[in-house]
Amino acid sequence: MKYRSFKELLEYNAEKYPEYSAFIYGSEKNSLTNREFKERVYKRSEELDKEAFSVLGILCDGSIDCVIEIFACVLTRKQLVLFNQNIPDEILKELIDYTDVDRLYGDEELVEEFEDKLSHGITERNGNILFFTSGTTQRSKAVVLNERSLLASAYNGSDALPLTKDDILLNMLPLDHVFGFVCGLLWGITNQATVALGRGLRHSVEDCLFFRPTALSAVPMLWGFLLKQKAINPELKLVLIGAGDCSDELLQAGKAMGIRISFGYGMTETSSGVAISVEGDPRAMQVCKEDEITIAEDGEILVRADTCMMSGYYKMKQETEEVLKDGILYTGDLGYLDEEGKLHITGRKKEMIIMDDGTKVFLPEYEKELMTVLNNTELCVVKRENSLRLVIQSDEDEESIIAKIKAINDMRPRSQQINKIEKRKEALPRTASGKVKRWEI
Amino acid sequence: MSREEVLNKVIEVVYECAPELEGTPLYENTVINTDTGIDSMGFTLIICRLEATFDVRIPSRQWNKLNTLGAVVDAIYKRLPKDK
Repeated sequence: MKYRSFKELLEYNAEKYPEYSAFIYGSEKNSLTNREFKERVYKRSEELDKEAFSVLGILCDGSIDCVIEIFACVLTRKQLVLFNQNIPDEILKELIDYTDVDRLYGDEELVEEFEDKLSHGITERNGNILFFTSGTTQRSKAVVLNERSLLASAYNGSDALPLTKDDILLNMLPLDHVFGFVCGLLWGITNQATVALGRGLRHSVEDCLFFRPTALSAVPMLWGFLLKQKAINPELKLVLIGAGDCSDELLQAGKAMGIRISFGYGMTETSSGVAISVEGDPRAMQVCKEDEITIAEDGEILVRADTCMMSGYYKMKQETEEVLKDGILYTGDLGYLDEEGKLHITGRKKEMIIMDDGTKVFLPEYEKELMTVLNNTELCVVKRENSLRLVIQSDEDEESIIAKIKAINDMRPRSQQINKIEKRKEALPRTASGKVKRWEI
Repeated sequence: MSREEVLNKVIEVVYECAPELEGTPLYENTVINTDTGIDSMGFTLIICRLEATFDVRIPSRQWNKLNTLGAVVDAIYKRLPKDK
């Protein structure tokens, strides 16, 4: 079913399945029924409605109280900003200013610490829900979404991968990430499945065996971790992987356990997934119901997703216009559509450097070769003054590095050869998911 | 418990959690993500095991700052009860 608002979703679930568990959570495996969930959200919403603030920032810890606070705030139509609770103080301060947060919710100590560092708020109730991009190629931007776009995204995903009310969806992903919010939370609620709220990083090894989910949304690293730790419960039958590719080995391991693995492709800007693999090759993803994907001449993936598209980057008109033109999002990702119209991802446009002679260097591939010959993963390739430079954290002397990469250089045209080595003492700056922040190098 | 004893125990736990490191020497100044190849989930596992081993709790907001084994040792050592 397609819902237009959180209120409509709460009403439907509470009326149709009032005593059915909406959530299970905590080490006591507490349960909250659809009726109780609605009541708690409504009660909290009434309180928030009367309180004197206009923009609520939530430091998401994935708890039931956090979920209720999110839903309650959305019902008031006051602007909501979702923060990662482990964000460093100085960045949190910067983002609070940027997004006009005048009330903070979450870890009490932190909220108290920031009490006098809040912004002045805004003047209207706009129903905005702000998520931050992860920022591998540039600084994080706040993406303006709303309940309608998020629910439309959950609906599109559910059309490809439906759950039932007998399913248990375990959420181990952060709710401040749109993939976690839509595929770890809304996917379950909109299908009347029970959502098991993961108990946080400290319980990552135990949560599958503890909550016995039938479905799980995961990033590749989490999926690999669970497999390695043999932490998968036998009831698990469906895993939706997003936010990156994972190795054939991890895919096969899931398959061998009788688990169906699906990949999802999407962005914060499209309120999560716009293409999902349903059967066959998990890397061949069918375009979601209400979305349209075309491929530009240079291979860039272009998305039209009228119901799920962001309204823009918060207070960044120019940046919005650079990527969103006539309702089409220029994703910066590279891919192709196969003969069945299924989408395959091949890389990031910004990870491709075009040299002055017009030749293209696809960085992930190039860096993988260098990592192999140098037996060092702490490196990347950057373009400086129209030549390629290897940035590496290593104690090895430069001559030795040059000797080792000679074979790679010899196989490439001169314009694509590494002509300088830049050694670093410190590790490369990375995002939380481990991707190199190229813009910081 | 002395700081050195904490370090030895930390190294023992790292080897338990990441058996693929067997044969790789670990020192106080070993940088966790680059010298050992342990990813953030692996690091989480190690921290959880260490918290259980030493009966301490390191706030998750501080985990990102624990770059070396020495920093992990310091975080644990300062939280140990004085009589332990």
